[in-house]
Amino acid sequence: MASPVSAYNSNALDTHISSTSRESLKMELLADVSLLPGEERIIDKETMYICPFSGAVKGKVLITNYRLYFKSSDADVAVTLDVPLGAISRVEKMGGASSRGENSYGLDITCKDMRNLRFALKQEGHSRRDIFELLFKYAFPLSHGLPLFAYVTQEKYAENGWSIYRPVEEFRRQGLPNNKWRITFINKSYELCDTYPTVLAVPFKSKEEDLKRVAAFRSRARIPVLSWIHRENQAVICRCSQPLVGMSGKRNKDDERYLEMIREANDTPKLTIYDARPSVNAVANKATGGGYEGDEYQNAELVFLDIQNIHVMRESLKKLKDIVYPNVEESHWLSSLESTHWLEHVKLVLSGAIQVADKVSSGNSVVIHCSDGWDRTAQLSSLAMLMLDSHYRTLRGFQVLIEKEWISFGHKFASRIGHGDKNHADQDRSPIFVQFIDCVWQMTKQFPTAFEFNERLLLTILDHLYSCCFGTFLYNCESMRDQQEVRLKTVSLWSLVNSKMEMYLNPFYTPESGRVLYPVASMRHLELWVTYYIRWNPRIRHQQQSPVEQRYKELLALREEYLKKLEALELSDSSPSSRLANTPNTPASSTPPQQYTQLQTPL
Amino acid sequence: MLTGSKTTFKVRQMLPDIKERMLSQSGVNARSRDVFGLRCLPGECVLQRAVMVRKKLTAREGRGWVSGTLFCTHFRVAFVPQDSPKADDNADPVLLGDHDVALASIEKVVVVGPNRTKLVTPNSSLKFTPEELVLYCRDLRVVCFLFDRLTPDAQVIEITYTIAKTYQPPKPGSVLSFQNAALGSVEMKQFLSNRHRNTHMNWYESASDWEQELERCGATGWRVSSVNDRFEMSTSLPRSIVVPQKVLDTELKKSFAHFNEGRIPRWCWRHPRGSDLMRMSSFQNNIYHEKDDIRNLEMILFGCHSSLCVVVELGEELPSPADIQLAHSRLRALCLGDISTSMSVPDDKWLSTLESTHWLDYTRSCLRKASEVACLLRGGHLTVALQEADDRDMACVVSSLVQVMCDPHCRTQQGFQSLVQKEWVMAGHRFYSRINYHRDNDKEEAPVFLLFLDCVWQLLSQYPSRFQLTDDFLLALHDSIHLPLFSSFLANCQRERCKRSQNIGQSYTPVNGWRDVLHPDSSSDPSDPPLPSVWDWSLQYSKHRRDRFTQPVPPIPPLQPLLNGNLNTNPDAHRLTDTIPGSVFLLSRGTFSCPANLLPWRSGTSGVYKKSHRRAPSSENVPGLERLLKAWALAEFPQGLTSTSAPQGPLDPFEPLLPLLMGPCMGLWRECYLRGALHAQAFSHPISANHPHPVERLAREVQQLKDKLAQVSTSTAIKPASMMAEPRRTDTNLNQNTNNGTFLFPASRPQSATIATAAPPPTSTNHQTSKGAPPASAPPSRPGHKDNGGSNKHTFLFGHSSVAEARPDQRYYPAPNNAKLPKSNGSSISS
Repeated sequence: MASPVSAYNSNALDTHISSTSRESLKMELLADVSLLPGEERIIDKETMYICPFSGAVKGKVLITNYRLYFKSSDADVAVTLDVPLGAISRVEKMGGASSRGENSYGLDITCKDMRNLRFALKQEGHSRRDIFELLFKYAFPLSHGLPLFAYVTQEKYAENGWSIYRPVEEFRRQGLPNNKWRITFINKSYELCDTYPTVLAVPFKSKEEDLKRVAAFRSRARIPVLSWIHRENQAVICRCSQPLVGMSGKRNKDDERYLEMIREANDTPKLTIYDARPSVNAVANKATGGGYEGDEYQNAELVFLDIQNIHVMRESLKKLKDIVYPNVEESHWLSSLESTHWLEHVKLVLSGAIQVADKVSSGNSVVIHCSDGWDRTAQLSSLAMLMLDSHYRTLRGFQVLIEKEWISFGHKFASRIGHGDKNHADQDRSPIFVQFIDCVWQMTKQFPTAFEFNERLLLTILDHLYSCCFGTFLYNCESMRDQQEVRLKTVSLWSLVNSKMEMYLNPFYTPESGRVLYPVASMRHLELWVTYYIRWNPRIRHQQQSPVEQRYKELLALREEYLKKLEALELSDSSPSSRLANTPNTPASSTPPQQYTQLQTPL
Repeated sequence: MLTGSKTTFKVRQMLPDIKERMLSQSGVNARSRDVFGLRCLPGECVLQRAVMVRKKLTAREGRGWVSGTLFCTHFRVAFVPQDSPKADDNADPVLLGDHDVALASIEKVVVVGPNRTKLVTPNSSLKFTPEELVLYCRDLRVVCFLFDRLTPDAQVIEITYTIAKTYQPPKPGSVLSFQNAALGSVEMKQFLSNRHRNTHMNWYESASDWEQELERCGATGWRVSSVNDRFEMSTSLPRSIVVPQKVLDTELKKSFAHFNEGRIPRWCWRHPRGSDLMRMSSFQNNIYHEKDDIRNLEMILFGCHSSLCVVVELGEELPSPADIQLAHSRLRALCLGDISTSMSVPDDKWLSTLESTHWLDYTRSCLRKASEVACLLRGGHLTVALQEADDRDMACVVSSLVQVMCDPHCRTQQGFQSLVQKEWVMAGHRFYSRINYHRDNDKEEAPVFLLFLDCVWQLLSQYPSRFQLTDDFLLALHDSIHLPLFSSFLANCQRERCKRSQNIGQSYTPVNGWRDVLHPDSSSDPSDPPLPSVWDWSLQYSKHRRDRFTQPVPPIPPLQPLLNGNLNTNPDAHRLTDTIPGSVFLLSRGTFSCPANLLPWRSGTSGVYKKSHRRAPSSENVPGLERLLKAWALAEFPQGLTSTSAPQGPLDPFEPLLPLLMGPCMGLWRECYLRGALHAQAFSHPISANHPHPVERLAREVQQLKDKLAQVSTSTAIKPASMMAEPRRTDTNLNQNTNNGTFLFPASRPQSATIATAAPPPTSTNHQTSKGAPPASAPPSRPGHKDNGGSNKHTFLFGHSSVAEARPDQRYYPAPNNAKLPKSNGSSISS
């Protein structure tokens, strides 16, 4: 069955869940927890869950090699928790053997998905020692020489998600190769750049030796390569890492000539280089050998987009968590929200992507980089592509976008998320991908009919970003994934999604190709993604579907009903007076009502 | 000489071009159009015009620009798009076209030239040719016109001057000239006096209107008293008030003196579970309470529920009018930015600045108070009396919010209009002073009504599928407030309205026989034009915009009328009625108490009461009451009370819509406040005007199908028998068909199938022809329906029972208190 793991409920009302997991919840206390194929019970224990919303709840906790499951034994307070161990970032002992006070002795668990869990245990006889040790071991398998659960599970799906993205096919869809751009396999065995994919699109004129020389001048050899090309005006989005200018202001003729080749490909008058960083940071990077393109790059202009680094984003989200979990800051909500700067960061990322999209749609090629070109660069290129290309707004297209711009181009998921790793304070961790999904959500809010997928897909993606149930987000780059045989030994998240596609479809989707979406990147129009960040708060309604969606379904039913009746009437009545009923009764072909046509006069 | 000629030039600018005047005046009789397509009102003169102007369209209008001709008359700034369809010359005059701005709603005129922006006042002179003309309106709209290079410079400058000179700078006296410009012509007076008033709503003007409401709510034990018919008892109360049946008018008369402004406790509404909502002003303290008075006062206050009365004090936790005014002016400033400098709050300070306006805090506190009251009312048989010092501001907000939350009828357009009429217009909210049209009483100014509209919008945005009215309707109402043309808002109470209508001559007065009562007031001139009601929407909005005031296909479950005020389904009711008769509690800051001085006649000083009714203040039923409020708190913690708070939970129509009030759940009404042009606007629909939102499109489709079905069935129905054709005209007949409501539609019965189609759900006709059959949601208050008994039958009647039969029932009518609801719900959806 599908979606065995998207259920992480903190309570019975928590409903953004698949049907299978719900069934499992109906079953009696731990006896009938439905485990995934390959999932094994490790330990269970009587315990007390200190629910921040309804107080201490008695029940039983079960730990398997995949999840932490809790069910209350008290029928009045139905609390169920179903947390994949992958979502746990930190497990700590709370209180000591001698600590006083009710429920002061137990476990304190910090999760990556915006919540904390506390369990109280009996103080007698070191009752928490075994459960703590086992939880610690299975929550952080890589730190204990155990495999990630994705390698253990035996789950089967109808679709094979690994086949969703084939680089050459995707380039062909974009119209590549053509007489300006060629496909190169120079990185076939990751010799040019170990964090890049094997298939790259580069300027037709560039030679393999050029690429190697450019690689020497770009941080981690991440040379400028094509991500997307505009079908009509042939403007391109290229991505790379920072040039290795350093303190001495080194130049590299090959790099300069290479960028010139990119510019020449569609004869852009000026190539725009977007440096995602604030200019101060870019300057500071010179000290460590990096830097930015200077005046020596002719016919190029450099624009800084002022997006902060991974550490700033991590702290910002931490602050956001502080004001929404467990309790939502009541008295000064808006200024508290403002002080987290989360929405402001979202705004900067979006407005950077808007600038990129705008440049490209007006016919100018762009190059995007930050420091290493795997965080902010991925955000900008993928968001700009989402704005420019309606294909990426389909359910499958969006999967391709993530596979391409994030996974294949080496966003360091393993480091940023810390899959199976106990080192919760690792400075490499950062919610960059979460921020990207937030930006996508903002776009779906502003353009409710432009996306084929719905909010549930975004939630599912974020849930499995941590769950370690699928291979999709494991490891930092393609070379590592090959080495670990991810595609052979694990299942792709897209197998789950594409086996149950109808769950993730937006009923309002109105396909419209060739339209560039420019969201409004202003605090006045951005919203906090309440149904993600505050979803553990039972006060926030977990809407299975939006009221609008519900209404749409009701209307569909009504339409069916009327159509049936009309048909019945036509059959029953053969008199000529009923000729009205013979007019085409396919409502889809009905002309839009008059009132809309009056407004279609903009110049 | 030179200076002289300059002045004459200026004067000449001001005078309408003679030719144009001739044109528009010649059109008066035939109501014909100006050559450039502007259809003038009778007597309206075009002062100036400019050709080849482009108007910026808002997100709602589809964005972009539309080209056309700009006019300035002494009533409005009008804009006629180039290719707008030729209007029907015989159609009724519409005050404002879709692109027009009334002069009275303009707050500031700003022109943008090459590299500069200038605020244009009546005295300013331009040193450059404007490229853009921006009108900032009081209703927060920002209308922007762009002058093409093809627009003659002279026209640009002259129309700018003309607008700057004729728009209504806030000063006393300008309102009247504006009214005269719009409505003062003989033809307009004639036209307005012949208008039919909307019969689908309740105007609460006469005793029978109130009786109709009593009947709709199933409120027994109450009667309509005309004791205030001459406004002698209370000048600010309406002529008819609803009081307990057992209190005689002679007894009633003595009670007025005990309340501030004579605003005695009056009945407002009955919850279907039997509780009554009342409102009153504060007690007059310096008055001696006779024994008989006390008996009467208690009878009035307790109404039908002799056991329990909760007095809800509105003063403490709600904003004062001054607070509201301050918050609103801050919100305006924030949303529009500094108009003259085009500066606005930096984006990174937006949230905290928005917070510091306190506007959202105030909407929250109103909603919280109303939620508390709604929870009390649903608990059973008690009287809730809202008490405010003068009972004319926050009592209006809270009483009407409670009804919007609890009474589905109030979520329809007609029901909402009736509600505003009942709780605001007739109840004596001082619209005239609060809006301060004349700009002569800044101290009193406070947009209390706009705060209420925002609260309703919050409810609408949290429960969109439970409303028949739309935010377009709320927006229209919001904007109309700023137009000093409507009798609804141009007076502080019914007495003032009566006075005015009396003075403008017999033909414009609703003749009800009280005219001789009042002495003509010299303050209003007999030549004042008659003022229409704001509910006469066709005066202001074209058909296609009015169509958007309601959802094309009403939400499911239907907004059914309340039929029976005595639904006794709540177990708590018994416990509450168990209490000692005569218990009064004060609800303040979320807790109940019975302070000694709550009722002044029971407190020690007045003495009489204690001697005769010695009774310790009971606090036994405080727990009972607190349980009711706890239900509200639990609603925010759904695991306790899943049935009431799950989003598409039980669609018990009497469950109040309790809003979530946490910070993240309160939104800003962007479509209203952020209409300004200073920053880019979000597209709500990427495909804009030509392609409505799929939901809308589908709704229209369903509507068309429904109409077609009606048409087809008409033609079929004529054949079998004449009796079949009858029911589709009026809903009276429809109702008669439905005494066996549930069994009306089943397709299995060959006969009933024809009935079903012959009687289209009345809503369809409602939307098609607004003057057709009464809306589905209209209270079936006509005699003959009372014995319809339980409302269940009607649930099906108005509920497109066809749908209910097509889909599993529990989806629409899940069993209440089903703790496992979310689960079953979820699985049915994912399937």
